[in-house]
Amino acid sequence: MADVVVIGVGNRVMGDDAVGPVVIDRLVGRVPDTVVLVESVGDATHLLDTWRDARLAVVVDAVVSGGVPGAVHRIDGLVGFPASWRSASTHLVGVAEAIGLGDALDMLPDELVVYGIEIGKVEPGVTLSPEVGAAADRVAEMIGAEMAGVSGS
Amino acid sequence: MTNAREISVEYLARVEGEGSMRVKVVDDQIEHVEFSIFEPPRFFEAFLRGRPHTDAPDITARICGICPIAYQMSSVHAMENAFGVTVDGPLRELRRLIYCGEWIESHALHIYLLHAPDFLGYESGIHMAADHREVVEQGLRLKKAGNSIVGLVGGREIHPINVRVGGFYRVPTKRELEALIPELEWAKDAAVATVRLVSGFTFPDADLDYEFVSLSHPDEYPFNEGRIVSSKGLDLSIPEYNDYFLEEHVERSNALHSQIRERGAYHVGPLARYNLNFEKLTQLDQELAHEVGLGAVVTNPFKSIIVRAIETLYAVEEALRIIDEYVEPSEPYVAYTATEGEGHGASEAPRGLLYHRYRIHDDGRIADAQIVPPTSQNQLTIERDLRFVLEEHLDLPDDKLSWVLEQSIRNYDPCISCATHFLDLTVERG
Repeated sequence: MADVVVIGVGNRVMGDDAVGPVVIDRLVGRVPDTVVLVESVGDATHLLDTWRDARLAVVVDAVVSGGVPGAVHRIDGLVGFPASWRSASTHLVGVAEAIGLGDALDMLPDELVVYGIEIGKVEPGVTLSPEVGAAADRVAEMIGAEMAGVSGS
Repeated sequence: MTNAREISVEYLARVEGEGSMRVKVVDDQIEHVEFSIFEPPRFFEAFLRGRPHTDAPDITARICGICPIAYQMSSVHAMENAFGVTVDGPLRELRRLIYCGEWIESHALHIYLLHAPDFLGYESGIHMAADHREVVEQGLRLKKAGNSIVGLVGGREIHPINVRVGGFYRVPTKRELEALIPELEWAKDAAVATVRLVSGFTFPDADLDYEFVSLSHPDEYPFNEGRIVSSKGLDLSIPEYNDYFLEEHVERSNALHSQIRERGAYHVGPLARYNLNFEKLTQLDQELAHEVGLGAVVTNPFKSIIVRAIETLYAVEEALRIIDEYVEPSEPYVAYTATEGEGHGASEAPRGLLYHRYRIHDDGRIADAQIVPPTSQNQLTIERDLRFVLEEHLDLPDDKLSWVLEQSIRNYDPCISCATHFLDLTVERG
């Protein structure tokens, strides 16, 4: 199982909701080969299987918490989410439940980082809005930098 | 004298997709019951227009993260119906096999993480896991056994990409399939244990009069093929769907509601399949059903959790049978030529009948699409059940009433889209 895994959560044909998978696309070739890149629909059981044996898991998901589209949140997933994320995000019910289940069943990675990218309207489409596309670039850079830091350990 | 009470729950937990329930009770009289759903398929119908017909399986699969195979299967059958393509032999068997995988994973998820907590008094699967760790672990492992089938036959577990019109892009070898057997043998025992576990729950009383609708096939429990039949006498071919069913606006909602023409609400899903196809289950399934007190017809929707468990067992047994008898086909798909025309496909998604219709231009592009998911078809029935539950349980305090209302919605495992999860539940009492 992967030592370090990056999971992009989202749906590629639902507009801005694709931002997690798009970040994964942008990380290809930018992170060491040992870092495993995974796309997910946010199903809790898939997340558990993907991260349970990892030392570090980074999850990228779309968030609707009232912020400006394109805003980026970075939180420690083992500490807990802001309450506002739970009710209105597109996939964090799955991510939040996966963290809760992982805690109950000892299926969490040693370290879990969650990037939440604020998105606008979610509707079928295969392109990101400009501000969310720019945020995807920014998050890919941030994760790339984090991975450079962990790759030698 | 009125006693104003209001219950508001931020979202209806543990139901995939977006929807909301609103109930209004005035002086113990039910004034309004509405279960509404967000309907991404409508948007996808427009999204598909003008695209190559070969895109339909992969695009419609994205409507739902839990049941992508169902969308792929109904779409490829519709295209094959339009072009006069017949898929049989090992390719047909592989389609049943991948469907087994989807039923196992979807049913295991719903039984263990979504519905069992209702019966055992837990707010969620997470809370249940703290007290019933082994039970939840069994559910997760069972789900994973289903994922493994989808991963192997579908090319990957999440958003499988190996299904195409005419068959598959690549077919598995016998050896690859045989590698699944040990875990499926475990899953068979686990599924039997699941039936016994859930049949021990306490069920609210209900004996409701439904018109059950499902596919029915002379030789097999239905996944991909058959006629559409009902418990009140319907018996039609899949292309006749729109002659007997319609989607129309009802006064209280903007959403389209499916109905049987001039008859109204109907019920699709595990209960319908079971009631209309009981004799097609294996001997083990039937004996187990009798052992846990189920007859050949079940009319208590809360017992759908037991039926889901029996269907999970059937899917595991069927997967083992298919793997045992599998002979690698010479070609991974049947070649065909796209022509102008119209095609209809229906298959049994974990949640019930999923109908697709496409009209195709002479260049193979999609002229228009119609997708009717199971939850749209159950919408009126869910509202009728909510009314029944309200009538039966109006004396309950708000929190307990809310609980049993949510539990009754989950009898249908409603799943509209994993694109959004926001739900809003409100009970008003004035």
